[in-house]
Amino acid sequence: MDLLNQLAVGFSVALQPVNLLYCFIGVLIGTLVGVLPGIGPVGAMSLLLPATFNITPEAAIIMLAGIYYGAMYGGSTTSILVNIPGEAATVVTCLDGYQMACQGRAGPALGMAAFGSFIAGTLSIVGLMLLAPPLSAFALQFGPAEYFSLMVLGLTILIYLAHGSMPKALLMAAFGIVLGLVGLDSINARARLTFGRLELVDGVGLVPIVMGLFGVSEVLLNIEQELRREIVNTTFRGLLPTARDWLESKWALVRGTLVGFFLGVLPGGGAVISSFLSYALEKRLSKHPERFGHGAIEGVAAPEAANNAATGGAFIPLMTLGIPPNVVMALLLGAFIIHGVQPGPLLMTQNPGLFWGVIASMYIGNVMLLILNLPLIGIWVQVLRVPYKILFPLILLLCLIGVYSVSHTVFDIHVMIVFGIVGYLMKKFEYEGAPLVLAFVLGPMLENNLRKSLILSQGDFSFFFLRPLSAASLILAFVLLVSPLLPWTRKKREALALEETS
Amino acid sequence: MAKKQFSVRTADIASSLFWMAVGVGVSYAGYDLELGRLRDPGSGFLLFWVGVIMVGLSLSIFIRALRRETGAHAIKPFSLGVRWKKNIPVVVALFFYAALFTWLGFILSTVLLLIFLFKAVEPQRWSVAVIGAVLSALVTYTVFHLWLRSPLPTGVLGIG
Repeated sequence: MDLLNQLAVGFSVALQPVNLLYCFIGVLIGTLVGVLPGIGPVGAMSLLLPATFNITPEAAIIMLAGIYYGAMYGGSTTSILVNIPGEAATVVTCLDGYQMACQGRAGPALGMAAFGSFIAGTLSIVGLMLLAPPLSAFALQFGPAEYFSLMVLGLTILIYLAHGSMPKALLMAAFGIVLGLVGLDSINARARLTFGRLELVDGVGLVPIVMGLFGVSEVLLNIEQELRREIVNTTFRGLLPTARDWLESKWALVRGTLVGFFLGVLPGGGAVISSFLSYALEKRLSKHPERFGHGAIEGVAAPEAANNAATGGAFIPLMTLGIPPNVVMALLLGAFIIHGVQPGPLLMTQNPGLFWGVIASMYIGNVMLLILNLPLIGIWVQVLRVPYKILFPLILLLCLIGVYSVSHTVFDIHVMIVFGIVGYLMKKFEYEGAPLVLAFVLGPMLENNLRKSLILSQGDFSFFFLRPLSAASLILAFVLLVSPLLPWTRKKREALALEETS
Repeated sequence: MAKKQFSVRTADIASSLFWMAVGVGVSYAGYDLELGRLRDPGSGFLLFWVGVIMVGLSLSIFIRALRRETGAHAIKPFSLGVRWKKNIPVVVALFFYAALFTWLGFILSTVLLLIFLFKAVEPQRWSVAVIGAVLSALVTYTVFHLWLRSPLPTGVLGIG
């Protein structure tokens, strides 16, 4: 009953005309950036962050969250029609979605992607709604030792799940922590790694780093190779999947939702990994695995359900613990802080309107996306026809304005360009950007909690192992870190990475 | 073709040496900032240890790269199909844009940047480049400056 009352509070916030408008803008922009390869939700959220300065925190978070889950919807369109994933989380949708389009079944593929996304997205919000309150209440008992250990565990899971070399991912996380520590020491206000630059006293900005690593670097990579887009010529009649399609996809949708939701809670690109895992799971469980890769509708339903369910799951650690599990949530954490709101266990009691308003808006946003996506697919196809040579200068321009709008300093534009080059080289040398950004955000919190714990315990490290949750987190983190040294677990991890990259 | 290719081994050796140097620098900066004591860690405590970890990780990447075979499977077409001439001018243009942004103002510097970008990578017709650049600059100016109230520089000519 209490839950329903709180949800009613949420709907009273989300249904306010201004919040409805921002929810609509968010999901529309999200779908658009999902459709367009080369700019993702991270870039779009960074760009629009300054635009939220003059609006209420509720409207701001509702819009930014809408961009995130909207992008998951939009990403499937490019995967199915062009065989180019708009988002990393929709890479696997290409396999069967594009084949379906080639066989003249683009409509049902797009329809199943939209309906599957809607069902999974909505169910994941139910999960978020049910899990967040007890977890918030539990998290109230946490001290600095628990927070430190949970952050270490979060970073370790992210690194473990990173495809490619684990030492490289660890190295990037370490570098991210270093970058996060630039600026004034929060305890004694001593300047660190500022090299005498006043602009660095407040630290390096999150937006220029993210825009550089994920926006500029992506453009640099794309323009050096010729992107060929062959849009399948088909009429989009009959977007509704047939009864047989539904029958074949029903368990794929259920399993995809469960895999997506629970992996979404874990740090490390839940949407991406869950889409691959759910696809692999369906293929393994199917009586006709040979159909996969040749236009099996379950191959569209499962990953689309998984990547959308993961977005709901990802909100849990941020809203209940204040710990972002991925880069998008790290940006959202930044948005919360800019608006003077600290996400964490107290968010639900101190800002019930915001907490439940965001959850309620996600229900509304999912309905909007369903209504928006099916009739607008024709328009998204037209957007896809815009050649990249026209698109990339505009993406760069938006990155430049986005960065300048946050701080109004040219210094941050330089930071963005430098991180664009760094991100480009990182991709060339096979280093991942996600651990760097997450560690950058967690770095100051990690240090703060470590130092507080050491002061409280008089420098006794056993303090971290005397508290059960802290001890369990550190032991699990240790196990994950050493597991690649064991041949069996190394093979498992490499197989996962291979599935992701192939 | 072999000359154009860049082995993963070489890439890992080069990058690990780079990160090793960064790690040493970070450790030194941490040490310089004061480590403090365990019961009262100083400003450089975490930096120092993160730097040490970076050195250790770089070393492991370096050693692993040295052990890697130089056979055909270790070679990846690192620069195959890559058009270096396309992205270097873009980066240079972005730095120029940043340098001229405040002085020339948003509209003028943006128009110049966009004309260059439209012409540099996949050359467009002049009419497309100029009209596209002017329109994009005006639309973004309207949205960000007039609608979202984001202050953008007007420059010496006072345009915008």
